[in-house]
Amino acid sequence: MAGVTFSRVRKEFAGFLAVEGLDLTIEEGEFVSLLGPSGCGKTTTLRMLAGLEFPTSGEIRIGDRLVNDVPPGQRDIAMVFQSYALYPHMTVGRNMEYPLKKRGLPKAERKAKVAKAADMLQLTELLDRKPSQLSGGQQQRVALGRALVRDPQVFLLDEPLSNLDAKLRGYMRAELVELHARLGRTMVYVTHDQLEAMTMSNRIAIMLAGDLQQFAPPQEVYRRPANRFVASFIGTPSMNLIDGQLSRSDAGWHFTSPGLTLPVPALRDSAKAGDACLGVRPEHVHLGHGDLQAKVQLVEQTGHENIVVLDVAGGNRLTGRTPSSQVPQMSEAINYRIDSDQVHVFGPGDTGARLNADG
Amino acid sequence: MSRSPQALLERRYARLGLLLIAPTIVVFCAVIVYPLLAAIYLSLFQLYTPTLEGSFVGISNYRDLLARGEFWISLRNTLVWTVGTLSLQIVLGIGMALMLHQAVWFRSLARSLILFPYFVSTVVAVLVWRWLFNDLYGILNHMLIGSGVVDMPVDYLGSMPNAMISMILVGAWKYFPFVVIAVLARLQTIPDALYEAARIDGAGPIARFFDVTLPQLRDVLVVIILLRAIWDFKEFDLIFLLTGGGPVISTQTLPLLVYKEAFALNQMGMAAAYAVVMMAIMLVFMIVYIRQTREKEAS
Ligand SMILES: Nc1ncnc2c1ncn2[C@@H]1O[C@H](COP(=O)(O)OP(=O)(O)O)[C@@H](O)[C@H]1O
Ligand SMILES: [Mg+2]
Repeated sequence: MAGVTFSRVRKEFAGFLAVEGLDLTIEEGEFVSLLGPSGCGKTTTLRMLAGLEFPTSGEIRIGDRLVNDVPPGQRDIAMVFQSYALYPHMTVGRNMEYPLKKRGLPKAERKAKVAKAADMLQLTELLDRKPSQLSGGQQQRVALGRALVRDPQVFLLDEPLSNLDAKLRGYMRAELVELHARLGRTMVYVTHDQLEAMTMSNRIAIMLAGDLQQFAPPQEVYRRPANRFVASFIGTPSMNLIDGQLSRSDAGWHFTSPGLTLPVPALRDSAKAGDACLGVRPEHVHLGHGDLQAKVQLVEQTGHENIVVLDVAGGNRLTGRTPSSQVPQMSEAINYRIDSDQVHVFGPGDTGARLNADG
Repeated sequence: MSRSPQALLERRYARLGLLLIAPTIVVFCAVIVYPLLAAIYLSLFQLYTPTLEGSFVGISNYRDLLARGEFWISLRNTLVWTVGTLSLQIVLGIGMALMLHQAVWFRSLARSLILFPYFVSTVVAVLVWRWLFNDLYGILNHMLIGSGVVDMPVDYLGSMPNAMISMILVGAWKYFPFVVIAVLARLQTIPDALYEAARIDGAGPIARFFDVTLPQLRDVLVVIILLRAIWDFKEFDLIFLLTGGGPVISTQTLPLLVYKEAFALNQMGMAAAYAVVMMAIMLVFMIVYIRQTREKEAS
């Protein structure tokens, strides 16, 4: 088994910087998601690890082995493509057998491995079908099976669930987590869906414009986002972010924005008075009581809870949550309270760093 | 009898439909069905070409034809020519298409250049080739003798098997661009991810060609081979102009034989019989082709 190390890895495409000085160490057996908006360099990173793209500079290691110049077939990795990339003229069985054949395994051993993987993924019935005769979910499992038969050191998955419908996606998420637990192999999973990253990963690497923003376990990313971008990207409904001013008095730090003045928790020494951004998760906006007041702008009933958008004075919006039994009326004036122990303070700018002292 | 307005309307629509396809049917009958039937009809007569006068002989033309050595020699020549030039066209065509597919920067220029032999008129092309092949002043012999490969001029068109080989080569040169263009178009639609998956699965360049490229080309190759087989089988001008069927009848194919019977020997009835036999052979290719395209449409 082996982990993966990226050291100062850069990738330029004809002058366009796709990945910028990436340092990332993935432990042996870890499930790591590369998460970020479209075009941030996730696929490029994964393809460099696969050997399908060469880094402009920097080093990539699988285990202790420097793989920069190792061709994809010799890296002991397997990849599941977003489009599945199944060989259309081969049956499911032959698709899964192909990597074993190219490695010169004897026929009996190949058959045994394919049968085992097919059994694990419930593909046994489908072994004689062609990919075109399968549903999207089944094709997805075949692609997974083709990766599985080889028992590689590292599994690479590029948005493998994005072509499935929502229900199947939820099911496959659980399947993949179980598979990871059973195989104990290192898995690198590319996704733009924060829910997938949050529910499946041991750690999440969040990227923006080729730059690693934070690399931490899901709960850490959720509770202590490294910067404003991470905060906005993780969580649905997303974190309330309000621009305003930070000021210091004897009583401690305060945040002010039109219609809102709030004490904030202890900040780092590097925090400076001036422009800042306040971040509050919707679950920390408590509705129905408190000494702040706002108008209800919108109520979305999702079934088990309600998402309520408040119109705070000065043009600011706040999203809060209420239990399904508590349905505020539209345009109603409502009292609310912000859990000031739970707020985040970020420096100015889209990727302003988190200033809370607990980070 | 229904006289409801709806039935009337339907009948009127049906009549409109007939009216719309009528021109096609008329043209089809005039240029395909009539000549076809006329050929079959003529093949039952012994006819003198200039006057088209003669007598009904029934199937005796066919009996004669099958008994003649010249028919079987010409049929064999036709098959050798078709199989030879077609195989070369396919191999050259796929090879060139793969090369053009790799090289991005001169692809569009090369793609137009490669079409040159296909577009140039056969007469011009053959004249140029005859000049190149000429045993006295041809550049090929000049170069071969100059470089010491041979010490006597090679007779490319006047001896066997040289004449057949030259003919097959010129045919391949003239028609391989068709294969290049069709294959190249298909190559460009093969998803890159398939090649990438194969690389990760440990397939080298040759394995990738046989396991990814070739299976993807299968459908288009079947169509190309069938179409080209039909066209090569009935090729006339290139062969007629290059060797005229010679030496003697060593490169005489069936279309040349038909021409000879009809216009040199003035045996129009016999020529028609040859033509009908040729058509019967080509019908086999046609049926396979129609089957194949229909299958593709169904899937
Ligand atoms: N082969 C390429 N040539 C040029 N630019 C590319 C190439 N591949 C990716 N890029 C660019 O690099 C950036 C990152 O791409 P990618 O890694 O695919 O993003 P994503 O995070 O959506 O997977 C994008 O802006 C993309 O346009
Ligand atoms: Mg991507």
